[in-house]
Amino acid sequence: MSRVPDVVRMLTLVPWLLERPGASIAEIAAAFATTEEAIRTELDHLDYCGLPGLGGGDLIDVRILGDTVVVGMADELRRPMRTTPAETLRLLLAASQAERMLGPAAGALTRAVAKLRAALGVPEDAVVVVEPEAGDLVEELRAAVVAGRRVRISYRGRGDTTAVDRDLDPWRLELHDGAWYLHAHDHGAGAARIFRLDRAAALRVTEQPVTVPVPAKLEAPRYVPGPEDPEVEVLLGPGGTWLLDAVTVAPEATGAAPGGRTARFRVGAPEWFARLILMAGGHAEVRDPSGMRTLVHRRALAGLERLERSSGAASGTSDA
Amino acid sequence: MHAAERLVNLTIALLEARRPMTFDELRRRTRYYPQPEHATARRMFERDKELLRSLGVPIRTEQAYGMEEPGYRIDRREYELRDLHLEPDEVTALALAAELVAPAELALALAKVSARGPDPDPDVVPAARLPLDVTAVDGAAAVVVERRRVRFPYRTADGREEPREVEPYGVVRRRRAWYLVGRDVARDGLRGFRLDRMTGPLEAVGEAGAFEVPDGLDLAAVVSGPEARPVAVDLEVTPEGVRDVVARGGRDVGPGAHGTRVMRVEGLDRVRDLAWLLAISPEVAVLGPPEVRDDVAHGLHRVVEAHAEVPS
Repeated sequence: MSRVPDVVRMLTLVPWLLERPGASIAEIAAAFATTEEAIRTELDHLDYCGLPGLGGGDLIDVRILGDTVVVGMADELRRPMRTTPAETLRLLLAASQAERMLGPAAGALTRAVAKLRAALGVPEDAVVVVEPEAGDLVEELRAAVVAGRRVRISYRGRGDTTAVDRDLDPWRLELHDGAWYLHAHDHGAGAARIFRLDRAAALRVTEQPVTVPVPAKLEAPRYVPGPEDPEVEVLLGPGGTWLLDAVTVAPEATGAAPGGRTARFRVGAPEWFARLILMAGGHAEVRDPSGMRTLVHRRALAGLERLERSSGAASGTSDA
Repeated sequence: MHAAERLVNLTIALLEARRPMTFDELRRRTRYYPQPEHATARRMFERDKELLRSLGVPIRTEQAYGMEEPGYRIDRREYELRDLHLEPDEVTALALAAELVAPAELALALAKVSARGPDPDPDVVPAARLPLDVTAVDGAAAVVVERRRVRFPYRTADGREEPREVEPYGVVRRRRAWYLVGRDVARDGLRGFRLDRMTGPLEAVGEAGAFEVPDGLDLAAVVSGPEARPVAVDLEVTPEGVRDVVARGGRDVGPGAHGTRVMRVEGLDRVRDLAWLLAISPEVAVLGPPEVRDDVAHGLHRVVEAHAEVPS
């Protein structure tokens, strides 16, 4: 943490403290997301600030009694500085990003944003965050985390062909690389697990309170391939290079090839990987091993068969 | 005297000044620039002034009639954030949004807007993290907020670099990319520009408030392309596939053949959601609309072709 005093924070501390006489150093540090040491340093400097003039001028009065702070004689800084345009947009971006997550608090956020925009003269809808698309599942899970309730979800893991019910103590939701994850204690496995929510469905919030407390540190949601996982080589056409972004597994190697590029992945869950290749609709081809090629071929044929057997004459309309 | 104290005090002095103060007046009055060399002292003052301006302190330069030197002052109305009269639940919601998205990058802004308001409810649990690099649009913020025309060099989709002049209406975050959306002046049309394709800095041109943002503008639609018309798709779903379809908001509309269910999913994007329909195709057949059915069939045929033979 930098020891250089932050001038804007000093200018903001004064009006903030004028409204909160007796605030503790810890509270202040938390509100300004910095260290207590930084706050103490800046308060020390503020004690030498004020309206300059002959005979020392009128100095701001900063009194630190034990752990509490009282600021006086600072009427010239009774109001905070305006937020800069960058700060304003940052706040609006955060609000737009968080909006769909807040459930019942979303209305209050909308009101707060309207007041902010009006005070700062920002055009309406100056920022839009389209992702993430937090569905009902995310909102219900967040409510369960807040309430501390055990949940049951049906979940199709990377290795599962169908969804399986799991009883979880939900800990925290996390948006990572455009996808939602749930950190939880999995009672079936008796261990901490991370669940990717686009593979989950059918949530039930139980009346049972959670029993396993949130650990101090939660792992980032990232699949670490095991050394025993087989390596798969894929040829990616121009329409399939997005696959490199979609796979949360870093490729072992990539290279150029006639008609596109190649990438090698370690794959622990063949069914999951076959689905991924289907998604590319022919723009990605498994070169190796032949077992993986066969699996993809079989799944695509199964899809075609199912399509041909279904009654294609049925309805289906555009919303417009 | 410490630099931070000098900068705070210079701000206070200029806020309290009843009329613009020249450098010499400031120097005499404050004794902050004690260097015997006038030019050295002046350079130090210029550095302070520019630093404060870069932090958002609106120092005006004014030359009143009869003054030989320009004077400086801060207009309190430009400096101060007016009271927002935020309610407790509104502060709590803002603090929660900041906590979820980027606590460190938003703390100071939040302290400013809530300095004279209530404190957030300490019992609200974030329960989630939605990290977003909110600093990515810092460079474009001033022109959007102040409604100024802007110029920048832009790399087009085919790799050429061209200068653009834009009336910026707003910023959009979509599918992991940042866009500046506005009216392209030369082409007289709404366009979205990816920030990572701007090959040089944004340069503001002209006055603030130079244009009005059109009413009812849908910024997100500008960058989503022409393919975004939502489609309702009917699906024939095996028992194994039901959960995948439910997870996308699918609704059961009745029984299908051979123990399947017929389900409907609204609001799909024909282009973007094709990948999902392909992924679930072993358990889920698209019944209609026919063009979506054809898309899936075509994609599956290509996968079959690509994997039919043992590669050489």
